Amino acid sequence: MASVRFDNVTKKFGEFVAVHDFNLEIRDKEFLVLLGPSGCGKTTTMRMVAGLEEATTGDIYINSERINDVLPKYRDVAMVFQSYALYPHLSVEDNIGYPLKIRKVPPEEYKRRIGEVARRVELDTMLKRLPKELSGGQRQRVALARAIVRTPRVFLMDEPLSNLDAKLRTQMRAELKHLQHELQVTTIYVTHDQIEAMTLAHRVAVMNRGVIEQLGTPREIYNDPRTLFVAGFIGSPAMNLIPGEVKDGVFASAGLRVGGAGRISIARAVLGVRPEDVHAASAEDPDVNLVASIYSVELTGENTLVSLQLGGRLMTLRADKNFAGQIDQRLGVRIETDRMFLFDAETERRVDF
Amino acid sequence: MATIRTRSRTREMLLRLSAYLAILVALILTLFPVYWIAANSFKFDIDIFAVPPEWVPRNPTLKHYDEAFVQRPFLRYALNSFLVAIGTTVISVTFGTMAGYALARFSYPWQWRKQISFWILSTRMMPPIVSIIPLYLFFNYFDMLNTKSALIIAYTAFNLPFATWMMKSYFQDLPVELEEAAIVDGDTRWGAFVHVALPLARPGLAATAIFCLIISWNEFLLSLVITLTEQSQTLPIGIAGRVTQYSTYWGEISAAGFMACVPIVIFAFLVQKHLVRGLSLGAVKG
Repeated sequence: MASVRFDNVTKKFGEFVAVHDFNLEIRDKEFLVLLGPSGCGKTTTMRMVAGLEEATTGDIYINSERINDVLPKYRDVAMVFQSYALYPHLSVEDNIGYPLKIRKVPPEEYKRRIGEVARRVELDTMLKRLPKELSGGQRQRVALARAIVRTPRVFLMDEPLSNLDAKLRTQMRAELKHLQHELQVTTIYVTHDQIEAMTLAHRVAVMNRGVIEQLGTPREIYNDPRTLFVAGFIGSPAMNLIPGEVKDGVFASAGLRVGGAGRISIARAVLGVRPEDVHAASAEDPDVNLVASIYSVELTGENTLVSLQLGGRLMTLRADKNFAGQIDQRLGVRIETDRMFLFDAETERRVDF
Repeated sequence: MATIRTRSRTREMLLRLSAYLAILVALILTLFPVYWIAANSFKFDIDIFAVPPEWVPRNPTLKHYDEAFVQRPFLRYALNSFLVAIGTTVISVTFGTMAGYALARFSYPWQWRKQISFWILSTRMMPPIVSIIPLYLFFNYFDMLNTKSALIIAYTAFNLPFATWMMKSYFQDLPVELEEAAIVDGDTRWGAFVHVALPLARPGLAATAIFCLIISWNEFLLSLVITLTEQSQTLPIGIAGRVTQYSTYWGEISAAGFMACVPIVIFAFLVQKHLVRGLSLGAVKG
């Protein structure tokens, strides 16, 4: 039972501001993902909860207790490190049991809990092994087991899946999500992988340069990006972002005209539209927003990604898997105007219309 | 194809042979003096100077061992050397490890980490002989001349900077996340140091201990100046003392010198398995 709250937290390393005036409340039992590119301050934010970094200014609370000056051992949080940080000189059993041994848990209880946790992460046959005798996936499980062997108030996970291969990562992702649901422990999860963020989180905080760009459910973040950064960061393939000008609700750029933006005017604007909201049409169709030549056609299996040459840049659209266009062929494009976003290029914020 | 393969195989054989040959030469160069001391220690005085040299003692005798360790106080010297070396090593490794850890891990304002580290090393930049008169006066003032404690203090002063630097670089090589994990798991900083950093630093500890032990065991200059009595002198001084005005007692020198090698060799064998690195392999990353 724990909520975590950041009140105007700033963290500086010398002159460098890693986290700037950070405000966030993580609810009890919530799975919150801090998502952002490397160097955005997400790991620093999490390490401040663990007590491995001190906030320069501002307050951090677990429930109603201010923890800025509380030693890590009294914070009752558990952390899974990106590198797993398994103790190389201790067996799997001693690794998992380390937090219990420190807390002087009686021997029977100790045995019982390690057995239970080891079964849960399927390590019960390897308790006597050393970390170096385990595969990457197994080490990951040991790290996880060490975190869940006591029931902490908060789980902190620092890119725990990034060292695993793609297949194992997908599998562990599902297991993590299930585990968090079962244990009902507040979790802060740091990643730069937007798929992980979208699939795992109850809420995502997208971070950039030490501040939260946007906080919301994965669906909100995807469907309703508030800033240019979020729009460009979330989604694969990335959202098409085309610079241009808006006059009286009509966006215009080289060869492209899209109406339907009310009556607004922006001198320097960026049009954002996701590949799935751009549709291929015949080049002769009078309703198309754009006619351009095909740059490449990539079949992914479930659908086809088509890139079009638009001025000096490429525009991607997600077409049907049976799409039959050829490179250099002229193609008409229709944009779903109710699914497009306009951003002010100066402020990088979204302009509603 | 076949010829080429044969030729390269002969070449490989030759290469390997020359490597072994080089090793053999190096071994002879290193081990022969030790053997010669050992051999001489079992010879009668007259045989030590025999021409042509007597490679293997023809009439082995323990006479020189009796002279050195029974009639003369070499056993006492050995005990002094042992106590001084162990004392120095324990103190240097203990404090060097803690200081090294502090320098490797804690954050300091401004450039203090660098400054303090450099200052510690700078104490070794002058030759020990420079400090002999101040040390003599110092120990005289505190009435500590001719004591083993004085030797331990003096040797520690020279070993501690090296121990600190060796342990510092060793701790810097250990991934810091391991200790962070221990701290988040509920341990204190000290606990993380004792339970995680220290066991992983065993190879570093072993290397530092051997280093300190050999330095103090062999030390001659400071001991020569600080100690004059049988109760405090160490083996190197005792051995040098057998080069007298009238004669050099090669037999005794050989016997004592050979026995002086033994403890160091035993110690090196005992700790050498800890010297093997790679203990921290598999700690991080998959």
